[in-house]
Amino acid sequence: MSELAVEVKNLTKVFTLGLKKEYVVAIDNLSFEVKAGEVYGLIGPNGSGKSTTMKVVLGLMAPSKGEARVFGLDSGDIRARNEIGFLPENPYFYKHLTGAETLRFYGKLCGMRGRELENRVTELLKLVDLQGAANRRLGGYSKGMLQRIGLAQSLVQNPRLVILDEPTAGVDPIGSRQIRDLIMHLRDEGYTVFLCSHLLEQVQEVCDRVGILFQGRMRKEGRLEELISIEDQTTLTLEGASPELLARLHELVTSEPDARIVAEGHPRTSLEHLFIQIAERNREASK
Amino acid sequence: MLVLLALFGLVRGPVEDRLREELVASKLLTPPPAQGAFEQMGQSALMGTLGGLRSLVATFLTLEAFDHFSSKSWDDLRQSYQIITALEPRDETHWVSVVWHLGINATANMETDERLPAFERKRRFKEYAFQAIEFAERGIEQLPESSAIRIQLAEVYREKLKDDCATARVYGDIIGLPDAPGYARRFHGYFMARCPGKEKEAYAYLMALYREGEQQHLPTLIKEIKNLEEKLDIPGPRRIPDADPDRPKKAPKRPPNLLPGDILIPFTREDLRRIHG
Amino acid sequence: MNAESTASNPPLRAAARPVPLFSPGRVATIASGTVTQLVRMKTFYFLLAFALVVVAVGNFNLPATPAKELSMIKKVSFGTMDLFAWLFAIVATALLIPRDQEDRTLYTILSKPVRRIEYLLGKLCGVLVVVGVSLVIMYGICATMIGARESLFVSAEIEAMAANGGYSQEQIDEQVGLIRQQGLRPELGLAVLASFLKAAVVAAVTIFLSTFASSSLFTIIVSILIFLIGHAHTMASSFWLHSSDNSLFVQMLVKVVKILIPDFQLYSFSEGIVQGEAVAYALVGQMGLVTAGYLVVFLLLSLLVFVDKEF
Repeated sequence: MSELAVEVKNLTKVFTLGLKKEYVVAIDNLSFEVKAGEVYGLIGPNGSGKSTTMKVVLGLMAPSKGEARVFGLDSGDIRARNEIGFLPENPYFYKHLTGAETLRFYGKLCGMRGRELENRVTELLKLVDLQGAANRRLGGYSKGMLQRIGLAQSLVQNPRLVILDEPTAGVDPIGSRQIRDLIMHLRDEGYTVFLCSHLLEQVQEVCDRVGILFQGRMRKEGRLEELISIEDQTTLTLEGASPELLARLHELVTSEPDARIVAEGHPRTSLEHLFIQIAERNREASK
Repeated sequence: MLVLLALFGLVRGPVEDRLREELVASKLLTPPPAQGAFEQMGQSALMGTLGGLRSLVATFLTLEAFDHFSSKSWDDLRQSYQIITALEPRDETHWVSVVWHLGINATANMETDERLPAFERKRRFKEYAFQAIEFAERGIEQLPESSAIRIQLAEVYREKLKDDCATARVYGDIIGLPDAPGYARRFHGYFMARCPGKEKEAYAYLMALYREGEQQHLPTLIKEIKNLEEKLDIPGPRRIPDADPDRPKKAPKRPPNLLPGDILIPFTREDLRRIHG
Repeated sequence: MNAESTASNPPLRAAARPVPLFSPGRVATIASGTVTQLVRMKTFYFLLAFALVVVAVGNFNLPATPAKELSMIKKVSFGTMDLFAWLFAIVATALLIPRDQEDRTLYTILSKPVRRIEYLLGKLCGVLVVVGVSLVIMYGICATMIGARESLFVSAEIEAMAANGGYSQEQIDEQVGLIRQQGLRPELGLAVLASFLKAAVVAAVTIFLSTFASSSLFTIIVSILIFLIGHAHTMASSFWLHSSDNSLFVQMLVKVVKILIPDFQLYSFSEGIVQGEAVAYALVGQMGLVTAGYLVVFLLLSLLVFVDKEF
């Protein structure tokens, strides 16, 4: 049985508002698990409790009830923090630091020093393709660059678990694609990735398992394919098929009593794919 | 949280009180300003005092006081020095300055300022002189070892109030102080000699000085003793000799930039010879 | 990005390194980050204003004897230095934690294995380093000006006495000694230390306030008020506690304030040093211990608030 990276059991978080002692239940009896080595997506609309769940797992908040564990350690335990790399939504880092200084700063906070730290900084800058901007202050970085340096700092101490909060929010399609490629690379490298997002299509492309949160409660959870596949339908995409072949296929389907053709037509590329194709073509042309 | 703060406050209270006493005793910390000073402080001076900037505020007020002196605004000057001496009661120069300004400068101004009627001038003259004396007494209270304040006070008594008895008394107080000038003992005797009813005491005192030796046989001392001998009708054999005619006199210093034919005032014997051929 | 796929069954990552109970290294990292932040915010520009004040005062022809003039230059310079030090300590400290919280930098820091006490201590140490360096620079500026004026006054006095004639070498030396007494002396460094100790306590109080204050402006205003009350309560207690006209309530209030608020007036012993009084090193040492006590208590109070704070 594989190790559990994150284990949340009966987690409830209640906030008290103002002097009138009004209560808001942000998370209500939430339970889920993230296995080591998988990419787990916690999705839901704004205000569903995703960020709150993440902050409890990070130890930035204490649960009102229930517990959260990271690799068996209570989430409030400081040793758990060593296992986690965190990229917050809209990360703000010290604007007065350069990219390299930022990574060094967070590396030192994780107890790294000397040659080990310098090598890691170089490696991460290469990973996120920011070697050229390493000595520029973060105040001059674009949104996408900030996201990438944020990702790099989340990996600086080689954590077993990487938590990403809305990693592609506000990032252009090319940047989003790069981040998604990186997430896949992390999974291949053995990292556990726990990400929160409300951009469902992007989650769909990277996650192994998904939990759907709504009003603080888990509504559905499971493997992606199981959740989104329409079991009794099959998609067949053909290239270069002649009209005669299509006619014969029609006849075959019609001859089956339980089968029918639900939809037919030319498949469409997504606007995102088109955008990326055009950008890559232009990049090649300018080289 | 409040409990921790309160506990710490209760523990540090006696420690800090003892520390304060030691710092005040070693003159590193100035005692709080006198209660009356607060009413007279302007807002900025008060804030500066509370912000621990007493020296800074006192310095700026000193400059302000100089302005008042220049414009002969004696009441404003007095007000400034009330605050300055409250902020820095251990600074001798403030006390000396205010006694000088009020006791010498303000009174001199009242002697010559014809914009005011004579009666008003007299009244203010006395008022400033007594204010100077009051400041001096407060300064002496703060700095009992200071001779400079007393010397300035003696000047006010001598020059302005013409009170030889008080002058003698003040010089008498100066004698025992660590930084007392050498002439204090003689001056005490001189002014005692001029104080009605103190002639016998003055005579005995000045004779004791005279008997100390040649270094005390200064012309003024001899003159005062001679006056007292006359007043007290001292018998001849007991009288001291007149001033020794062979006593070497100090020649007046001639300025270096004299031209030929220049005459000095006062005249020297050489000048007289030149004038009369 | 350079994503390279590896084996089809990638190994799970090795467990991370252990976390020490308290790490001076992490404190130093946060402190140096704070120093860098304050320096790159160009806070040191205030030193230019200070230099201008000192140079201006040093070049005024003040209406006083040379010794008195030197004394006035010293008082203005050291008084300004003291003012800048505590004001800077308040403003710089008040900005730190609220800014980290607003910018969410705090999330990324606390999501690393950083204990909250290490974070607070690091921030405080960073501010104290900047205040200390500023005081050293200001002292250098003061010392240069005072030393220059002292030399000028001494040579002018010697020249004047020689020109007037009739003064023995002893008398000249005595007069020069009066001037030198108000000039540069090694003990003035202790006056700078006093300003630093005061600024340290002010910074500790401000950090405590900033852990629960709603904004930097609130922290700054309340810190300044506490500072002024801390200076005034000794005078207030000597006045109000010994006056029978005041109600029991007023007297109790004064006592409570004295217990809760630091006594900043004690640090004014720097004025005595500047005025030329002899320094009792044992007393300065005791002030250092009192300061250490304040720092420990206020850090502890800050931790009590901060440790349970949710972000």
